[in-house]
Amino acid sequence: MSMNDLIPAIKKVLEEVDVVLGWTRSPAAGVAVPARFHTPDEADGAIFDSTCIHNLAVHLPRLKNSKVGIVAKGCDARSIVQLIVEGEVSRDRIRVIGVPCPGVIDVKRAWRCYGFGKKIEDAGGRVHMEGRSVPREEILLHKCHQCRDQEPVIVDLAAGDVTSMTPPPPPDKSGIRERFAAMSITERREFWREQFSRCIRCYACREACPLCFCRDVCSMQTREPHWTGGQVNAIESEMAQQVRISHMAGRCTGCEECERACPVGIPLMLLLEEQNKIIEELFAYRAGASLEDKPPLLTYDINRDGGWR
Amino acid sequence: MIGVFVCQCGTNIAATVSTDRVVQAAKSMLGVVHAESIQYTCSDPGQRAIIDAIQQKGLTRVVMAGCSPRMHEITFRRAIGRAGMNPFMLEMVNIREQCSWIHSGIDETTEKAIDLVRKGVARVRRQKPLQPGSSPVARRALVIGAGVAGIQAALDIADAGIPVTLVEKSPTIGGNMARLDKTFPTLDCSSCILTPRMVEVKQHENIKLMVNSEVEKVRGYIGNFEIDIRKKASCVIEEKCTGCLICQEKCPSKAPDDFNACAGESKAISIPFPQAVPLVASLRKEYCRLFISGKCSVCQKVCPADAIDYGQEDTVVTEKFGAVVVATGFGLYDWKQSYPTYGMGMYPDVINALKYERLLSASGPTGGHIERPSDGKEPRDIVFISCIGSRDESVGRPQCCSIGCMYMAKQAILTKEHIPDSQSYIFYIDVRAAGKGYDEFARRAQTDFGAIYIRGRVGKIYPRGGKLVVMGTDTLAGDQVEIEADLVVLATGLTPAEGAGGLARRLNISTDGQGFMAEGHPKLKPVETNTGGVFLAGACQGPKDIPASVAQAGAAAAKVIGLLSREEIETSPMVAEVNQLKCTGCFKCRDVCPYGAIENQDAMGGQVAHVIASLCQGCGLCNVACPPGVISLKGYTDNQLIAEVVEVLR
Repeated sequence: MSMNDLIPAIKKVLEEVDVVLGWTRSPAAGVAVPARFHTPDEADGAIFDSTCIHNLAVHLPRLKNSKVGIVAKGCDARSIVQLIVEGEVSRDRIRVIGVPCPGVIDVKRAWRCYGFGKKIEDAGGRVHMEGRSVPREEILLHKCHQCRDQEPVIVDLAAGDVTSMTPPPPPDKSGIRERFAAMSITERREFWREQFSRCIRCYACREACPLCFCRDVCSMQTREPHWTGGQVNAIESEMAQQVRISHMAGRCTGCEECERACPVGIPLMLLLEEQNKIIEELFAYRAGASLEDKPPLLTYDINRDGGWR
Repeated sequence: MIGVFVCQCGTNIAATVSTDRVVQAAKSMLGVVHAESIQYTCSDPGQRAIIDAIQQKGLTRVVMAGCSPRMHEITFRRAIGRAGMNPFMLEMVNIREQCSWIHSGIDETTEKAIDLVRKGVARVRRQKPLQPGSSPVARRALVIGAGVAGIQAALDIADAGIPVTLVEKSPTIGGNMARLDKTFPTLDCSSCILTPRMVEVKQHENIKLMVNSEVEKVRGYIGNFEIDIRKKASCVIEEKCTGCLICQEKCPSKAPDDFNACAGESKAISIPFPQAVPLVASLRKEYCRLFISGKCSVCQKVCPADAIDYGQEDTVVTEKFGAVVVATGFGLYDWKQSYPTYGMGMYPDVINALKYERLLSASGPTGGHIERPSDGKEPRDIVFISCIGSRDESVGRPQCCSIGCMYMAKQAILTKEHIPDSQSYIFYIDVRAAGKGYDEFARRAQTDFGAIYIRGRVGKIYPRGGKLVVMGTDTLAGDQVEIEADLVVLATGLTPAEGAGGLARRLNISTDGQGFMAEGHPKLKPVETNTGGVFLAGACQGPKDIPASVAQAGAAAAKVIGLLSREEIETSPMVAEVNQLKCTGCFKCRDVCPYGAIENQDAMGGQVAHVIASLCQGCGLCNVACPPGVISLKGYTDNQLIAEVVEVLR
């Protein structure tokens, strides 16, 4: 996609909103960084490419009192929808600029393999890093391999043809998910004990999550009610995370931001993906898939036989 | 300043719990300044001792370790209130039902009692004083179901001057009793004693009768229910219909005769029986030629009162009620699937007792002449089989239907009166005739009316040459029995009425294992339910005969009259409360609240949740739905519950 579609779109939306959330390029690393555009001049710096990994919907609950434009990939749009469904964001205060997404690349993994902070460039279906290059689909984020949301659920203005994309290939079968699936229950316990022993309680997972909008009353930290202790050890950290994850039941859109933000690399999506799968099987519900769907855990109606609406 | 009082409850607790050791342990718990063991805390001297300790030691919080709060929480709230404390600074710790009664070893039981007391102390430490509120009472009662129980309850309440809405889902009131020919043990004519009451309902100035109607939605709580009642379209304008029956006569569409237990045939538009109240026709669209094929409207043409309206639609009425009486009655167990050796319904002359009742009835389809369904012949040998779907573990129904023995005896007597040279055979397990005059009646069936009682079950029924061969066991003689019968009548057990489960859920009341509505307490609250303001009458609560249903209806009416004679009722202070400072305004609480007790409020620089205390019932759904946990139930805060869990796991 060329910026020829995006920049005019942002400028057009800026006519009716206070701020547009989008991306600009970091001069040093070459990758995209989130940016807020308040004026048409600022909007000239807007970009969209496969390094635009961030889910900008996370900023919406914090901008409750402004009119906001937002550049959104298909997956980001689901978070926006879920925020609207849950009443955190009002539909008439936001304008969504939909962008066609080829899948975004796992910048952290690229840097881990090829050297931290190396300049990344995405061109011609390949990702180039100071001399080396790999096919883009080899370092896509896991979620992109199983993307079902290339076409954003809500779009006010499309920047480019959102329906023209070809779906990325399925992921290879040697990843952590396959290893985890093969583990026994005891091994899984050990696995998580080890993973959470590395948690430093920085709460980056929460800060990156668009649906974690409880602010300073987060169950992982609050003392009223005092659900979990604040000690940094495997048991307390796992407990705190389990509470967060169960609060995500029927709400998580699988954007992978918590896992991406985790500085110690705890594979949180293993838990969330499983939970999302269960919710979809039980209730035929995908969070953020539609503005009309009611979240399954908010549908108890005492007056109906069986209780479920 | 916590005081712990450990009740011995005579030996109920003291036999398996060392109350002295519990007292010793309690003394070392954080915040406890006084602990003692009392023989009967609920007795007058027991309460006196508690009050003295509160006043002498300056206690501010009290833990009562004894029976279930369902028994005595109110007693002790009042007691500590008399001592000058806030009555809600009390925690009941159940060391009887949940401890001493269910364990045996004294050491383990005592240890558990100590754990439970520690839990209670941790909780009461975080308790805050609460003030009850009050709410006005809507002075109107709803009675659901207009069989004999519903009719009795409605009349009793209405006679006390309280307006009643009586809702019946079928086109007429009267219920199952209206279908009976005679009643045991006096052989009173059933409709002769019931129809005057039905007419009284129709004419009573305080009763609003709604037939063809069902309760659709229930909101609110004791004293203030708001209930939607759906009146189903009957295609007949009730005010215009004169009950002349011309439509039924001319209607070309046949339909099953539900009132006669399908012993006869009815029409798509009909009045169930001549004494129906209201005497108004109603049309069943599923059988009507007009609605099936689009051509007919004969009834409209012949109706002299211009009462037919094919375009009639359901209407939903919303009304406020202070109390509800559930009197939905019973249904009959469908025996066909569970007793394959009885022909699964393939033999027309194997019928249930209600159908037989209609064949006996002078107002029935045969005019009171007994004709068997297959060929209309008068039967000579009639076999009754008891306990079909009752007292039978093999079909998952262990309970006694409580009326089968009596109505079999009655039907045997009536059979003899109708056909003097007939012979009745009754297969029974036990003859249960425990009511006044019942045993004498059941014996008369044998001594005066020649019924032959055979103790045993029937293994198989099969047809042979126009007769039915009934093969059974006589367990007293230790012999096989084979009877050639003309007709077989099955005494089927009772089930809850169709749709009772859904209604129970709408009213938020419990049901038992068989689906009957559950009473509040089997001994002391037989007409109450676990939901305040909802009472039970008749067979919806469990199988019972007519006098028991009428008695229970009277009892339920007395409860309703007592409740609705008050202008205000005290409401529980245990309601939800929002910490608005921390509310994120997602309103999940509002969406899940079954009582509509949560509203948006402009505060804290945005929209936040607010609890309308007078509507909140303290169910706790909002607590669970709130992601940050900033809505909590007073007296049951998350921190109190967490503290309890921590202490139990310690």
